[in-house]
Amino acid sequence: MSNSFNFNRFWLLVKRQWLEFGKIYLISLLVITGAVIAFYFYALPEPDLHTTNLSSVYQHNNDGYVNLNFRLPLFLTLGFMFISIIASGYFSLLGQKSKAIIELMTPASTLEKWLCGVFYTSILSVFSFLLIFYLTDMLFVNYLQKIVGQISYTITSDMRSAPETVVLSVKPFFIDFFDRQEMQSLVLFPFVITSVFLLGSAYFSRFHYIKTAVVVMLFCTALIYTMIKVAGWLTFNKVQDSANFGFRSHSGEMLGYVLIGTALITLFFWTVTFFRVKEKEV
Amino acid sequence: MITINNLNFGYSKHNLLFKDMSMQLSAGHIYGLLGKNGAGKSSLLKNIAGLVYAQSGSLKVMGFDPAKREPELLADICFIPEEFYLPSIKIDAYIKANAPFYTKFDYAYLNVLLEEFNIPISNKLVNMSYGQKKKFIIAFGLATQAKLVIMDEPTNGLDIPSKAQFRKVMASALTDDRCIVISTHQVRDLDNLIDTVIMLDESTISLKASIEEITQKLTFKKMKELDETVIYAEPALSGYNVVVPNFHQEDSKMDIELLFNAVIAEKKKLKPIFN
Repeated sequence: MSNSFNFNRFWLLVKRQWLEFGKIYLISLLVITGAVIAFYFYALPEPDLHTTNLSSVYQHNNDGYVNLNFRLPLFLTLGFMFISIIASGYFSLLGQKSKAIIELMTPASTLEKWLCGVFYTSILSVFSFLLIFYLTDMLFVNYLQKIVGQISYTITSDMRSAPETVVLSVKPFFIDFFDRQEMQSLVLFPFVITSVFLLGSAYFSRFHYIKTAVVVMLFCTALIYTMIKVAGWLTFNKVQDSANFGFRSHSGEMLGYVLIGTALITLFFWTVTFFRVKEKEV
Repeated sequence: MITINNLNFGYSKHNLLFKDMSMQLSAGHIYGLLGKNGAGKSSLLKNIAGLVYAQSGSLKVMGFDPAKREPELLADICFIPEEFYLPSIKIDAYIKANAPFYTKFDYAYLNVLLEEFNIPISNKLVNMSYGQKKKFIIAFGLATQAKLVIMDEPTNGLDIPSKAQFRKVMASALTDDRCIVISTHQVRDLDNLIDTVIMLDESTISLKASIEEITQKLTFKKMKELDETVIYAEPALSGYNVVVPNFHQEDSKMDIELLFNAVIAEKKKLKPIFN
């Protein structure tokens, strides 16, 4: 049996960790599901019954899609909170002597223990949040669709050769999300968040979440400040070429850079976490 | 089983707990690790288990470097810490989740031990008393069939009948291929259990000898008047409890507490006897 990785041992570890981690995970998932449903109930658009114009009963865009602008900030805020809290709790037991002894003496390799952490924090938590959000959104989208699907109106304008009938409809969140190009570049960002907070859970002995958040904030502030200063220093008093101003992304070039960048940052934090767990002492 | 060579360990580089410590522990023995508070008993056990890393020197356990925490070695170490944590689940769920990691786990033996310790398998771990929890992890640890059993203050929190049960179970757990190391400051709990004494004092091993060797070289007895042969004496009801060199091959029962105090107080007098 390999001392580095054995699938059977890894699976045993996943099952064993579930006994402890599963409770925190399920409770957090339940809370976050309740929060998502509550926000949808609260923020779902109400029909304007006083208007005589059918097209104004629900706020919508030019294509006839009802405005559900609350979904993006809700998705980003709750998503960040859920995955960061889950990741921040995973290796926190290594900061407590009695728990750390049991954990470190469990006959599994550091690689298996680390992989189990990555599985729970980056795979299970991220995809379960996506699933919860998707299902809740679908539920409300279908409900709203049944109401607004009966509302149609006619548009006439100089741009159209003939009057056009538009039926109101509701766009599912994830279709709306990926229609925005700037959001596509954030696809790997959840893994950056979970990897940072997983490292924080292994690095600090107490107050993992607060300490990780403060360190990340300080680092980002310092990074942004340095970049502004360096860019200012490099471009100060230089002649600006107005014909070639700014960065233009050709055929998703920028998207590629961002994806590679976030993947590398994630891998870096995962690697540091692995060595931190490997060198952990009680 | 355990080979320690020139081990230097400390929680800070300038204040070493062990300096150039060397020692060998073999299978088929129950070692009693004794020492004052802060002497480094728990730290030595943690070094052996790979829970802390030494500054320099070498430490091998069954040919492995414990600091690498390889699963093959971990499956052969049963470590019962002084402070332990058990999850809030039922005993059978705990066994189901943890026992499969140990390929030699003996379920029948675990049931025998749980019965011996009067612990029902349907109990929830969180609802058990500290003593019951301790007896449970001892039973689980022994059922793993690990070759190296390390126990840090195992009798802490056990009541008097449980201490007797513990001694009985530990005595029966010793096999030819198993090494048991028990650390305690309650030296009387190890009476009639250990076969070798290891005493830590002032960053080093001040005594490592079998009970047989100790009673061959020293006599533990009562004296009314002290004479020049006495190495160490403590006042008793009708005279003194003394440790004297065993010049006349007398048979005596080792008083582990007296020996402990003698080693701490009269290290210089005892050292030539055991070298």
